[in-house]
Amino acid sequence: MRRALILLLLLWGMAIIEPLGRSAPASQALLTFGFLILAAYTVGEIARAVRLPMLFGYMLAGIVFGPSLLNIVTRAAIAQVSSLNQLAISLIALLAGAELEWKAVRGESIGYLKILTAEVGLTYVGAFVTIVVLSPHIPVVANADKTTVTVFAMLLAAVVVAHSPAATLGILTETKASGPAAKTALGVVLTSDIFIFLLFTLVATGVQLLMPSSGAGSPGLGLVLWEVVGAVIVGTIIGGVVAFYLRFSQRDLLLLGLIIALLGGEIARLSHVEILLTLLTTGFVACNVMPSENTIHFRHGVERAATPFFVVFFALAGASIPLAEVRSVLIIVVPIVVVRYITIWTGTRWGTRWADMTGPPAKHLWMSLIAQAGVAIGFASVAAEIYPELGPTFRTLAFAVIAMNELFGPILFRRALAKAGEIEP
Amino acid sequence: MSAALSLTFVVLVAYLAAHVLFDWLARRFQIVSGAEYLLLGILLGPHAAGVMSQHVIQTLAPFMTLALGWTGAAVGMQFYVPRLIQVPVDHYKTATVEFTTTFLFVSAVMLAAFAWAFDFEYRQVILPAITLGAIAAATASAAFSYTEDHPIITQLETSARLGSAFAITAFSLLLCIVHVEVAVGSRNLTAAEWALICVGIGVVGGTLFHLFIGREQKSDRLFIAMAGAIILCSGASAYLRLSPLLPCFLVGATLVNTSSNRAELQRMMASVEKPMYFALLLFAGAFWSPSRYDWLLPVVLYVFTRTAAKLGAARLAARSVGSASLLTANWGTGLLAQGTVGLAIAMSYSLNDAEVVPNVVFTAAMFSVLISDLFGLRIASLLVQREN
Repeated sequence: MRRALILLLLLWGMAIIEPLGRSAPASQALLTFGFLILAAYTVGEIARAVRLPMLFGYMLAGIVFGPSLLNIVTRAAIAQVSSLNQLAISLIALLAGAELEWKAVRGESIGYLKILTAEVGLTYVGAFVTIVVLSPHIPVVANADKTTVTVFAMLLAAVVVAHSPAATLGILTETKASGPAAKTALGVVLTSDIFIFLLFTLVATGVQLLMPSSGAGSPGLGLVLWEVVGAVIVGTIIGGVVAFYLRFSQRDLLLLGLIIALLGGEIARLSHVEILLTLLTTGFVACNVMPSENTIHFRHGVERAATPFFVVFFALAGASIPLAEVRSVLIIVVPIVVVRYITIWTGTRWGTRWADMTGPPAKHLWMSLIAQAGVAIGFASVAAEIYPELGPTFRTLAFAVIAMNELFGPILFRRALAKAGEIEP
Repeated sequence: MSAALSLTFVVLVAYLAAHVLFDWLARRFQIVSGAEYLLLGILLGPHAAGVMSQHVIQTLAPFMTLALGWTGAAVGMQFYVPRLIQVPVDHYKTATVEFTTTFLFVSAVMLAAFAWAFDFEYRQVILPAITLGAIAAATASAAFSYTEDHPIITQLETSARLGSAFAITAFSLLLCIVHVEVAVGSRNLTAAEWALICVGIGVVGGTLFHLFIGREQKSDRLFIAMAGAIILCSGASAYLRLSPLLPCFLVGATLVNTSSNRAELQRMMASVEKPMYFALLLFAGAFWSPSRYDWLLPVVLYVFTRTAAKLGAARLAARSVGSASLLTANWGTGLLAQGTVGLAIAMSYSLNDAEVVPNVVFTAAMFSVLISDLFGLRIASLLVQREN
């Protein structure tokens, strides 16, 4: 309550100084950005008090103070700090890789692949069928031929199956959970990043055989393979150099983490390889090739650097949710989201049985696969550019589905950890 | 592999090599790390490799402002009153005479030098000359790494603290005096009103954040709240075309004196201070651009004038206050290291739409940091060892 009151005072202070300053977005960005952090922190605390994840609070603050509602954080200010968002994504991926242990990956990877095959396969089919059934209510495809409806549904279903490594890692960092359920969720979600990336590329290439692209088109299969394999190669090289460096120095590891995230992201962009996978591999190789005391310090350094970025990343994600658009398509989106929940639950049950996985990690795994964020948004943007005439409706629907999963996913994952007994309920 | 990618690899390898090399140099010769970041920034910047283009630099402007605010807050956190009142008053008197003399002497010399070298009128170069005077008054806190209780160490610490606070205050208030005209109702805001706003952001901000942080104990949450406070105050200052250094200095000083989590706040500030300093150096290097004026002479003159002023003012201060029996004649050699605050002031000057020789002021501060980072700690160590 006290913090909320102070936040109101700050809001009032901002209103006072507003006419005295310059209207340049660069100078305004830091002001609104500082406010957003404090607002997100406050709402996050309120969320924690009512046993909701703080991530949910951060996103809620983004929605309330963002362009959709109060417009204190304007679109210009969001664009101005977008480079920070990029850095946040790189850092989150680096941290995700650093948290993975070689022993766990070697022992569990086949099991993870089995779970993902069942879960992603069933969710894709479920989403596809739902979208086809709902197509008469979707304006742009209501009167379209069967091929157009099929293409639309195939692409949207490929977005719907994506998961969120950022949300998973954000919850794990927030709750400090490190038990079997937490480790399984992290392993499955990180493996799914590669799995789903390949699936999306296959779908994006496949639909163009059915209906030639009228826009940017999707990259060829060779290029896609390079995006994945190249990311592993580039990430391994950078990770190897970092591991070697860590043998000799443990100075300024927080700063080193930030520099690796910045440079790694830039190298990935220049090499046309997948950024998330590159940084993930970098973190994994850096912390597993030559493990030492310095490696642990490095992991803590990256963790420390990433913590404020989680607040920023999710608050900005909330601020970017187009609330009016989500409201306008709610009647179509809700069935898709419901079917997604059901198919993820069913698919995960089949998958865990196939992988001979039992106990709480298997039982509650589905709840950790609900969240969606950056990866899905990226897919939606690429898919919308393939067919510009379908693009606006496609983007609105996809963003609405992602927004709902983005909001409720962290709540469910936190519940899963609580049910598994790895955090306080 | 593209040329840009090759270049990025070269820069990465150069960073790692430089860092490892400097690690060894720091241990072997007591050279404070930092210069490699400045050089790396220059290498990456638009005037060398161009990896960070002019556009990227402009995009990074908010982060540079944040680094300045953080620097101010870090200095403010050194002003914990119960600890400060334990220091004998003569140390304060000595420090005050020293930094005031240095400020006045360097300002006067640079005023004459700028007017003569660039053919400007005196009133045109008052701003850059006084800015360089303020930068000269600032001193790196090289002595803080010593834990022994000795008059020379206490004096160096006191001088560094007060010199930095004075430099920040003088420069920030100077910007209030030369602030662009902003009309409120039928008249423009006066310099005194701008100064009041500048101080107000810091004091009100500090008080509100003291209440905001409350009894929070967990370091991660405390860190986010503190970072938010510094970002908000930095942003408000930059938005009003003021330097973020003074408001954030006041936020830091308020928090450290009022918060029950003082120790944790100081520990967190210390853990981020060094990376933030390196980030500031990186930004500074990339931000640097060669002046269209003949900059070499004023820059060299500044470095020499500052050195002479520090040595002379320290000697004068010890004699005039009567502390010469406690301090040796050359105790001023411990004050030569320039440090973060000087560079932050130069950057703030350049970011604040300064129109008069911003690159000369910036280059002078940068050279001073480069040189003092190489020798400052070693000289201070020799002085302390000799006195002990």
